[in-house]
Amino acid sequence: MSELLTHSEQELRDAAALAVDLAGRRGVGARASASNNGFAKIEVQAGEVETAERSGSQSLSITVFRDGKRGSASAATFDRAAIERVVEEAILIADHVQPDTDAGLAPTEWLALTGPQPEMFAEGQRDPETLMAAAFAIDQVAGAIAGASKGTLRVGQCAAVGSEGIWALATSDGFCRSSRTSNDGRWCVMLAQDDAGSTSDYCQSQERRPEDLLSAELIAQRAADRAGSALGARSIRSSRTPVLFDARTAASLAGELAGTLTGMAQYRKMSFLADPIGRAVCASHINLSEDPFEPLGLASGGFDSEGIAGSARSVVRSGVAEGLFLSAFTARKLGMAPTGNADGFYNLRLTSEADGGDWQAMLARLGTGLVVTGLHGGSTDPASGNWTRAVNGLWVEDGAVVHPVTDVTLAGSMPAMLKGIVAIGSDVERQGAIRTGPILIDEMQIGGSA
Amino acid sequence: MNGGELAIARVRERLLAPADLDEAAIGRALGELAGGGADIADLYFETTSVRSWRLERGKVTNGSFGMRQGVGARAAHGGSVSFAHSADVREQPLLDIARAVRTLARHGDAVRHPQGVELTRRAGEHSLYLPAETVAVADAAAWIALLERIDQTAHAADPRIVRVDANVRAFDTSILVANAEGEIAADIRPMTILSMMVVAEQGGKRARGQAGIGKRTGLVAFDTASVDTMVKTAVQMALHNLDAVPAPVGEMPVVLGPGYPGVLFHEAVGHGLEGDHHRKHLSAFEGKVGERIAAPGVTVIDDGGLPGQLGSLGIDDEGSAPDRTVLVNDGVLTGLMQDRLNAGLMNQRSTGNGRRQSYADLPMPRMTNTFLANGTHDPADIIASIDRGIYATEFDGGQVDIVTGRFNFTTIEAWLVEKGKLVAPVQGATLIGVGHEALQHISMVGNDLGFDTGMATCGKQGQTINVSVGQPSLRIDRMTVGGQAS
Repeated sequence: MSELLTHSEQELRDAAALAVDLAGRRGVGARASASNNGFAKIEVQAGEVETAERSGSQSLSITVFRDGKRGSASAATFDRAAIERVVEEAILIADHVQPDTDAGLAPTEWLALTGPQPEMFAEGQRDPETLMAAAFAIDQVAGAIAGASKGTLRVGQCAAVGSEGIWALATSDGFCRSSRTSNDGRWCVMLAQDDAGSTSDYCQSQERRPEDLLSAELIAQRAADRAGSALGARSIRSSRTPVLFDARTAASLAGELAGTLTGMAQYRKMSFLADPIGRAVCASHINLSEDPFEPLGLASGGFDSEGIAGSARSVVRSGVAEGLFLSAFTARKLGMAPTGNADGFYNLRLTSEADGGDWQAMLARLGTGLVVTGLHGGSTDPASGNWTRAVNGLWVEDGAVVHPVTDVTLAGSMPAMLKGIVAIGSDVERQGAIRTGPILIDEMQIGGSA
Repeated sequence: MNGGELAIARVRERLLAPADLDEAAIGRALGELAGGGADIADLYFETTSVRSWRLERGKVTNGSFGMRQGVGARAAHGGSVSFAHSADVREQPLLDIARAVRTLARHGDAVRHPQGVELTRRAGEHSLYLPAETVAVADAAAWIALLERIDQTAHAADPRIVRVDANVRAFDTSILVANAEGEIAADIRPMTILSMMVVAEQGGKRARGQAGIGKRTGLVAFDTASVDTMVKTAVQMALHNLDAVPAPVGEMPVVLGPGYPGVLFHEAVGHGLEGDHHRKHLSAFEGKVGERIAAPGVTVIDDGGLPGQLGSLGIDDEGSAPDRTVLVNDGVLTGLMQDRLNAGLMNQRSTGNGRRQSYADLPMPRMTNTFLANGTHDPADIIASIDRGIYATEFDGGQVDIVTGRFNFTTIEAWLVEKGKLVAPVQGATLIGVGHEALQHISMVGNDLGFDTGMATCGKQGQTINVSVGQPSLRIDRMTVGGQAS
């Protein structure tokens, strides 16, 4: 057993199975899950530990079903008395609500009773001493970069975090499986200052295996480069121009496309792409694919919280939506087959059939327009697709960077933006579940005060 | 009454006694925690039950009940904080996390309280909000009926309403904090949040509306009149947005309505005046205290002691009584909001702003109820003064970059104003500004101070807490509005 975790996978499977068994004795079908997570985090600033934290959490939750009625309850302990109380509370709720026949357990033929589980855990040193050394290593490199900057740069926070988790799921149909995950993170915040004021930016690396993390040198250097490159930023005039989202900000556009294709958004009419299956939702050269089984992928999984496996598949092909992200519940609501996405989407990749080229090539394609490197606040109206943000970035003319930009807004309509994708660059980055290169959009509205 | 021995007894009954933990054992754990010469050592116990009922398509088909409890142990040596927490509050796990914190802190074994800490400094009572039953299953039928009526009322209001979602989340939280100075304080914090969302549809166009009510009490406070007002608010927002035209773009005058638009001051001023950002030299406001940042007549206050507001606290999460901190006084930047750690390191005193999301999170300086004080203008005159600009009445949250002072917030209900008249509703637009500059453009402050309806939350370093924001109507002469229309 890891020193971050307090329970074994077997103990969690036993707890979940006991909950389902106790529910069965009360005459109700049930789905129960048990989880245990442990993490350690060290944040340092100016050569000193700012916070040192070590924590564990655990949870047991159950949803019971009887005659189309359901109820859910949870507690933070695994002892028998607590599990009995949780079952009792869930049944009490089911006694009060109205039936919804779409809300039952997933039928056995949909369950991933066997089948592959992707690699989601890697052994690694995640004790506070190791993390402290890692955080100090970044702080030291960052300090050297700041020291050489003649007062332009200052180190903010440097941090290292490690976590491990186990999760078990049991259902009345005899499903009882568990999985184990690990996560390692490092980040560095750098501040840059000149006569006009200060600015800050960061670089974060997140993996399932410590060996895969970016080096301290790269993390500190990228944070320094990003913070420094925003110095001297100014606003620009309001205008309509082409916009190039760098890979980091492009991931949020890909996430919004996926989010609007979830069953919940579709069925609740909170999607800006109504009835999307078989319709062109993006430019005709755009593909979105999903892979639940990528080894050590940050969004990999063998089955969702209903016990249903996902599949490696195309969601958008040549701009046309081919699939949605569905749970058993939303699949029934929409009259479709479930896709194993009760907990959201697995690893996604947004690509273009058109040749995008590297960063320089993308700048050349942009020609004259705005590069977006930071998105701040704002919102996307889930019903209408109206998209509005505060952004910062770079002003580019004839493919060459002219000056950094801040104090501007950017607005558009998601359906039009997706159809207006001109190219996706080849400098692909991964942000959590999403891989994409920089995205070039034909035209958006900039609001500025220059 | 609330707080005092009454609240301590509640935590003893619900959390400590079932775990065979008494005050002497808490004192022993504090003695262990404070070893090695900690400047601050405290334990924070919490027990929370949450009950929810959810309505969709006219029926309540889903409900949940959750229980969580635990203790967080913190020790600070100078600005270096060590923290661990446990869901198990029995004495042995408690001593284990106290020792884990000592190990993390690496400050040796010097014993300061060999006999344990005696908890003799006991907090007094308060009556800011009272203990209330919030999560009883006996209220189920009444809540379900109330949610069904929301659905019926919303659909009856207009045939273009095609979807109604509503839910209630009720919290029953009790907390107890004890520290190595021998202080002990507890608080009972009931909270109920009713919220709804509607979708209106016409000619293939969809628009959303939302509204909610949050209170530190139970079912009894959700009377027909206030629920009907909530439904009307959500329905009207959706119908306005159905007719919305693209928002204008560029610099223009902006009128903000009363209530939740006060999130402007939460973002533009409040966050930049949290003590931790100043101690770490991160705030754009550093060194500006005492300077004029707004016109005379602009006074911004954080007050954790306002009855009826969700940001109010009988005690903060470090056991301090809430203050009324004047952040901007008649245009001049005046105060910082402090927790104990940052106050101690900056040679100031806590202002009762030490707050945390749960026992599993560290306290930080956080806002409570933050608002702009009343001015003298008639709100109608403020709108009438605009030649071309926007009038915004509801926002979808906001954000600030502490380092640069740049803030933004996004409208969810706003109008285009021309020649002093509301011309048409406009789609959501992001409004941006820089904290120490934007407030200088406030030229008119109304006399209609109002607060949000209990739905405001604030996120900081991953921790979300309930706050309140408020303001009277006001005019900002120049702001960048990020609409789609050129």
